[in-house]
Amino acid sequence: MAAPRLPVLFLLLALLVVACRGEASGEGPRGRKVLVLVDDLAVRSSHSAFFGSLQARGLDLEFRLADDPKLSLHRYGQYLYDGLVLFAPSTPRFGGSVDQNAVLEFIDAGHDMILAADSSASDLIRGIATECGVDFDEDPEAMVIDHINYASTEVEGDHTLIAGDDLIESDVILGSKKIDAPVLFRGIGHAANPSNSLVLKVLSASPSAYSANPKTKLASPPSLTGSAISLVSVMQARNNARVLISGSLDLFSNRFLKSSVKKAGSKLSHEKAGNEQFVTETSKWVFHERGHLKAVNVKHHKIGETNEPSMYRINDDLEYSVEIYEWSGTSWKPYVADDVQVQFYMMSPYVLKNMSTDKKGVYSSSFKVPDVYGVFQFKVEYQKLGYTGLSLAKQIPVRPYRHNEYERFITSAYPYYAASFSTMGAFFIFSIAYLYHK
Amino acid sequence: MPKAAGDAKLLIQSLSKAYAATPTNLKIIDLYVVFAVATAVVQVVYMGVVGSFPFNSFLSGVLSCIGTAVLAVCLRIQVNKDNKEFKDLAPERAFADFVLCNLVLHLVIMNFLG
Repeated sequence: MAAPRLPVLFLLLALLVVACRGEASGEGPRGRKVLVLVDDLAVRSSHSAFFGSLQARGLDLEFRLADDPKLSLHRYGQYLYDGLVLFAPSTPRFGGSVDQNAVLEFIDAGHDMILAADSSASDLIRGIATECGVDFDEDPEAMVIDHINYASTEVEGDHTLIAGDDLIESDVILGSKKIDAPVLFRGIGHAANPSNSLVLKVLSASPSAYSANPKTKLASPPSLTGSAISLVSVMQARNNARVLISGSLDLFSNRFLKSSVKKAGSKLSHEKAGNEQFVTETSKWVFHERGHLKAVNVKHHKIGETNEPSMYRINDDLEYSVEIYEWSGTSWKPYVADDVQVQFYMMSPYVLKNMSTDKKGVYSSSFKVPDVYGVFQFKVEYQKLGYTGLSLAKQIPVRPYRHNEYERFITSAYPYYAASFSTMGAFFIFSIAYLYHK
Repeated sequence: MPKAAGDAKLLIQSLSKAYAATPTNLKIIDLYVVFAVATAVVQVVYMGVVGSFPFNSFLSGVLSCIGTAVLAVCLRIQVNKDNKEFKDLAPERAFADFVLCNLVLHLVIMNFLG
């Protein structure tokens, strides 16, 4: 009796799991399961403040050693995780079925990643970064050095502890609250690949920084210098996968998060470094708790009507509307901006118009269908720095006037009508006159 | 100059004297042609003023007048007694042809007008 019951129980359990997952993913744009790969479990405690802030926001972290032989990102064609935190800079090879390609495929499938390297970064980590459009300094001994904008410590040191304050100006990536304190950074620099337009430098080095081995004298000019060096970069792929790449693992550590900071040469001393706010806000962005847009309820209709026609006629007046919401981490909030545009498109945009918003998420615009018939599209292509891209297209045919939709009598043609009929009348009178004269 | 004016006057006088001898049926045709051409000219002037918007209406209006005039001139050639070329053609037959052609012309004009 017990034997047949067991599969049924499993089935019910599986259904329940599926239902719960469906509910969770139906709410936010991204799932909450994140795999954290470390090369030493000590990182778990030395970076506990950062992990704690992720967990406090509802992310479900799973800690694994990077060389764990049972490591796998997917099972039965399904990804097991929605995000990846790679805090394993020195690992030469991942365990299990995971390798560089597996990580890149994970991103290609639309998942997010935080990658932190440091001066011991392995070729594997550098390779993943390169594929994401970020080139770390090739010299394995090099670190970012700044003799002017370093953080002053008790000992003079080699000026590799940098107090960075050249942050990207973007409220969506860094949050609306300004980060006042400098961000502490100790690690390697990288440059954004110029052929990759998706990479953004979030934290840039100051113009006086350079990347070199701090322990030896400079023999040749450093390959990376000045504000071309990026300390932390983000990349949003075309599939809206977000990747954060930091040249410093210490940036996320409890020590840097809690430490006070005083920039060299500055009298102002901050109680706490900007790191905590920086890593919290950027991780919110990376895990799609901010800056994720969705468009719903695309509607269009003729002015004065409410139902959606299957076709428009040339010179019709129509109204197009779409609702755009932004995920705030807990709920979908109306997205408010004045630069959302709609296109009426056939090979090229015939109409390109800014849409006005009612501040409750509804964007609308009304325009006249051009005097051209064919198969058009309503298009919204919205790409804004830090936000996920919106790309909507809806096909709609436009027909010419029907034969009976033209005016029957045109006022300006009355003389021609009169002439034609008078000629006919004249023909009649002429015939009579011609036949009966004498 | 006065001589030239006098010559012109003489010319017109001789022309009108000669025209007075024209048979009445030909005079009726001439009047009809003048009417049609005048109507056509009025329409062309009107088109020049208001523009060529209902171009089909303009074409049918003008062509009905021009066509009528052409058909009337053809009739005049055929019924003229002095014209030896059509001496075998009965004037009744010529008039019947004229009516038929006019019917076809106006049928086309009506279709093209609106």
